[in-house]
Amino acid sequence: MDKDPITLEIIQNSLRSISDEMFAAMRKTAMSAIIYEVLDMGTAITTAEGELASSGAGIPAFSAMLDKSVRRIIELHGASGAIERGDIFITNDPFYGGVTHLNDVVLAMPVFSGEKLIAWTVNIAHWNDVGGMVPGSMSTEAKELFQEGLRLPGVKLISKGVVIEPVVKIIEANSRLPDFLVGDMWAGISAARLGERRILDLIQKYGQDVFESAITDYMTFGEQVSLAALKNLPKGRFQHSETQDDGVVNNVTIEITDTEFIVDLRDNPDQQGGSVNSSRDGVMVMAQQIFKSVTDPYTTCNGGTFRPLKLLTRAGSVFDAAEPCAQGFYFEVIIRVFDLMWRCLAPHVPQLPSGHFASICATIIGGCHPDTGRWYTIVEPELGGWGAADGMDGNTAVFSGIHGDTYNCPAEISEARYGVYVDRMELNPESGGEGEWRGGRGIRMDYRIRSNESFLTCGYTRSKYAPWPSNGGREGTPNYIEVIRKTGEKEKFSSVTGLVVDEDDVIRVITGAGGGFGEPEKRSPELIQEDLQNGYLTLERAREVYGYQIDA
Amino acid sequence: MSIQPIIRVATDVGGTFTDMAFIEVGSDGTQIVRTAKTDTTPPNFEQGVLNVLERGRVEITEVGFLAHGTTVVINALTERKGAKTGLITTEGFRDSLEIARGNRPDFFNLHYQKPAPFVPRYLRRELPGRITYRGEERIPLDLSGLSAILDDFKEQNVEAIAICLLHSYANTRHEEEVIAAIKKYWLDVSVVASHQINREWREYERTNTAVLSAYVQPIAEQYLSGLESAMDRKGFMGNLYVMQSNCGVDNLSRSKRIPITMVESGPASGVLAAAELGKAIGEPNILALDIGGTTAKCSLIENSEVKIVSDYWIERTPSNAGYPVMVPVVDIVEIGNGGGSIAWVDEFEKLHVGPKSAGALPGPAAYGKGGVEATTTDANLLLGRINPEYFCGGEIQADVKASTDAVSRVASQLGIDMIEAARGIVRIANNNMTNALKLVSLNRGYDPRDFTLVAFGGGGGMHGVALAAELGVKKVIIPNGAAVFSAWGMIMSDLRRDIFVTQLLDLQNDAWRILDELLLQVEDQAIAQFASEGVSNDRVSFRHLAKMRYQNQEHSVEVEVPRRPLSKSSLSDLEIRFHEIYEREYTYRLQSPVEIVGIHVVVTADIGRFELSKVKVADAGCGPETAHKEIRDVDFAQEGVHSTSIYDGALLSPGMEFEGPAVIEDSGATTVIHPGNKASVDVFGNIHIVLTEDSNG
Repeated sequence: MDKDPITLEIIQNSLRSISDEMFAAMRKTAMSAIIYEVLDMGTAITTAEGELASSGAGIPAFSAMLDKSVRRIIELHGASGAIERGDIFITNDPFYGGVTHLNDVVLAMPVFSGEKLIAWTVNIAHWNDVGGMVPGSMSTEAKELFQEGLRLPGVKLISKGVVIEPVVKIIEANSRLPDFLVGDMWAGISAARLGERRILDLIQKYGQDVFESAITDYMTFGEQVSLAALKNLPKGRFQHSETQDDGVVNNVTIEITDTEFIVDLRDNPDQQGGSVNSSRDGVMVMAQQIFKSVTDPYTTCNGGTFRPLKLLTRAGSVFDAAEPCAQGFYFEVIIRVFDLMWRCLAPHVPQLPSGHFASICATIIGGCHPDTGRWYTIVEPELGGWGAADGMDGNTAVFSGIHGDTYNCPAEISEARYGVYVDRMELNPESGGEGEWRGGRGIRMDYRIRSNESFLTCGYTRSKYAPWPSNGGREGTPNYIEVIRKTGEKEKFSSVTGLVVDEDDVIRVITGAGGGFGEPEKRSPELIQEDLQNGYLTLERAREVYGYQIDA
Repeated sequence: MSIQPIIRVATDVGGTFTDMAFIEVGSDGTQIVRTAKTDTTPPNFEQGVLNVLERGRVEITEVGFLAHGTTVVINALTERKGAKTGLITTEGFRDSLEIARGNRPDFFNLHYQKPAPFVPRYLRRELPGRITYRGEERIPLDLSGLSAILDDFKEQNVEAIAICLLHSYANTRHEEEVIAAIKKYWLDVSVVASHQINREWREYERTNTAVLSAYVQPIAEQYLSGLESAMDRKGFMGNLYVMQSNCGVDNLSRSKRIPITMVESGPASGVLAAAELGKAIGEPNILALDIGGTTAKCSLIENSEVKIVSDYWIERTPSNAGYPVMVPVVDIVEIGNGGGSIAWVDEFEKLHVGPKSAGALPGPAAYGKGGVEATTTDANLLLGRINPEYFCGGEIQADVKASTDAVSRVASQLGIDMIEAARGIVRIANNNMTNALKLVSLNRGYDPRDFTLVAFGGGGGMHGVALAAELGVKKVIIPNGAAVFSAWGMIMSDLRRDIFVTQLLDLQNDAWRILDELLLQVEDQAIAQFASEGVSNDRVSFRHLAKMRYQNQEHSVEVEVPRRPLSKSSLSDLEIRFHEIYEREYTYRLQSPVEIVGIHVVVTADIGRFELSKVKVADAGCGPETAHKEIRDVDFAQEGVHSTSIYDGALLSPGMEFEGPAVIEDSGATTVIHPGNKASVDVFGNIHIVLTEDSNG
């Protein structure tokens, strides 16, 4: 079989379809809503050495996570010759290739052509409960990783095709939701095996040699795309500092040259005692994402894509936390870095809109389903408003920038599955985000609790400092939760763990509007009238911000 | 039995052409088949229909059955030419249409623009009242604000109203009350409630479906009424049916009320035709592939059953969330890859084919109408697969020079010679189509090697064998009259309705009673509905499917329910079948409890059937040599250049057999038979191509 460019391209296309097929299969078979609906999952194929060849993901962050897991597994087991055909390794520990928090479980399978290790198929998904100090395993009060659940340090789950039952039993015994866990585990195993079969079919068809050339060529292609796009970016050193809700100041410097994109995060605070820390890998994923977004958002992303990217961090800092610090809410750390890099580049890169609500708004509600008597846990990110850009009002009610093809849960399904009432799911009416182009609206959603002794855990940011505007626009509005007790008493939260809520208490989720772009005075009167007609704007606010006067 | 001839006609109004297929079955069983084509005549589409009937020499007064396919609904949606629509929802949920599901498929693009809702916020209104997911009333419906809403709608010149209330799938009463109240207050406004279209959960999807149906209702009703009166004036006495997206037809009154179910009727008739052909020739398991000018569409048929789903979107792409339409639609995958797809080279010297198409104008370079871009058709021409002297059925002379120039440009960008580039274009196009076929087979747990490929449309025969070889498919069938195959499918249609109802049920205790009751209720409603439309009970039949999953999963698989009435043991039968189907699709099974999420009832009403007619056999002793036209060199891409026999499709006759390499030239399409393939003609005139072991992959 020859290595003509068309054959190589066909193999590369096939790799993309295989990772998509693994993704579809896993999504369909998963047990937990956070996997099949929120798409807190990803699938990938890597080279034998753990370089990303192709990925399928619902959340962009997950597309460039799995190469890091594979490389760590190779580090741990490669030398001893313990990687064999039919094996599947499992890890969730950020210090053993798990990258994120303990809920995200990685399954990695080596693919052998004859005796030779030729590739890996690998996937990651958020398991609902892996033990730890609170249901759902994520606590804003955890001080150490040990409090966040069972650590799976890159060990074998399956050896030469045979499931290691004791390992499964240990994992099951450590979860509050073992049925979900076993279902989600099998969804991952079958996806990894499916990928292995498809890759072997490709190798059989085109030959190992041609297959390997196709991958090498593909990486080079990824690098070429990035280098070509770098040429169109503004060159120089860009710096930004930003105060966070908790008063801490985060700093970033980004240097763009013709061949490099260097993100320097060394000048940042030490890691914290709580769970708001991230591993270096987690931060790297964010740097990769912003890099991809400003270079070439459309073509496939593989190991070659990120060759021009350099990340500098300081060990022991909040962005490169050391063992055994807790990381349950790592995602609020990495979205802060993501938003910081975005804000740093926005004045120079026109395809970056103003700031969006920029929080995962992780909301965890649990209790007893009043109709079935079964325990339920809602684990969900929330929708919010996006920022405006030149010539474009911001999007209304979309998941955060580090999400992608994630779906919210319909009220009709929440009510049936969880036994709560959703009193409303509507646009947040609070004023903000005005400008020549205005930010999109966040949401206001009411969960009415139906069982006593239920709980709420949440960890929102951009609760104090609202989404940032550009070019003289107005800032957006903050994210928070309001608990309205049966008595009518109201409490406001951005971060809370295990708050007890009872029947007829209402948990009101409020997410922010995105920042505006350009001075409000420049907004066209027709658009202001439309906003008034549609109730996106009150007359009072129109007068105040836009200087709007009704025609006589 | 009547001794009158049966005359069935199908007309299909497309963007450019209006097609017709006509079949007359004489009292002695002989069949006459005719097809015709005319220009589509916007905005008076019925004129085009009358024109095509006239051109096809159809005596309208004698036609008993007229099936009509139209793109009026999908066009009104994509061109945003529907009615000004108002929406009424449950209090707290008017923004559901705008919030949608919050997904951003184009995930590295931070400049993404979310699709705008079809109803602006000021025309979305709310009414208090709540039903629970179990169908109980929690808060009574409060209609006191309705008249003010309607007054406002009138003032805003609203023409159609959609209603979607929370959990109306479980209890339709509140929605029914709102309709009744609207009708009382404002008789002539067009109204539709979500439960009339679909009874599945997910409020955004159901709301959007109701909105889109309301949006197209006035225009569709006007269109169908125009057609009806035009036919009446010509003395049409038969039954007029409208092609639907679920591979069935439906009557005029229902189609006017709920036109959204026509949204994907075009592809549906082709898939149905493939299924019906399979029944006639004993091929129950089929991969149907329709290659047109701009797109290729494929679908999988198992045990002669087309697969109907209710999760369909319009305008959904990898970079756009699109709009969900929760109506029964045949499960197809469509890709932007057809005969007119343009080949292009990106800045990294990678070759792509499609999704941009040269369309009808200018068309491929070979058409000589000013097209300068290389298309799949140009590549096929230069490889000798298409005969330049017999281009488009001999209607025009292919512009070989234009094709050569176009493909040479691609070649120089790639730094290869022209023929290599032409081969590359065909291989990339084939690879795109292979991936689409994998999506409907491998991705859903089916092995394509267990299926027969039925390839039709203008490009079906050209690419079918190469795709089959790639997938390991052993047999390809190119139907007789492949170019008007879809219209033929419409003639074969039953009256069909697919009803989906969400109902959560644990598989225990008296769940079988609840299931039985629900099925009975759906059956009764369907029978009553048909009766009101003049279709009698004895012609109606049912197929029951349960949507099942492991408890807490999201996606369900469909399992055939044992015959009603059910008994306690029905549940264990269902559970056994579920595990089997689940394991086939997903490769494993679990010990977890199983639940029913809802039902899918297929209701069909027999509206007369006829047998496929056999083609007259040529005189005894006539071998394939009588159809042999010439020998010329044909390039089979990876298999190289072969001296190839060319056959005239019109002269082929049942029983003839020959081997590849060969090309069959017909007026509507060209069929390429690769070296080593064995071809034969069956009694209906279809070409069967059997691939040898060698030619597979």
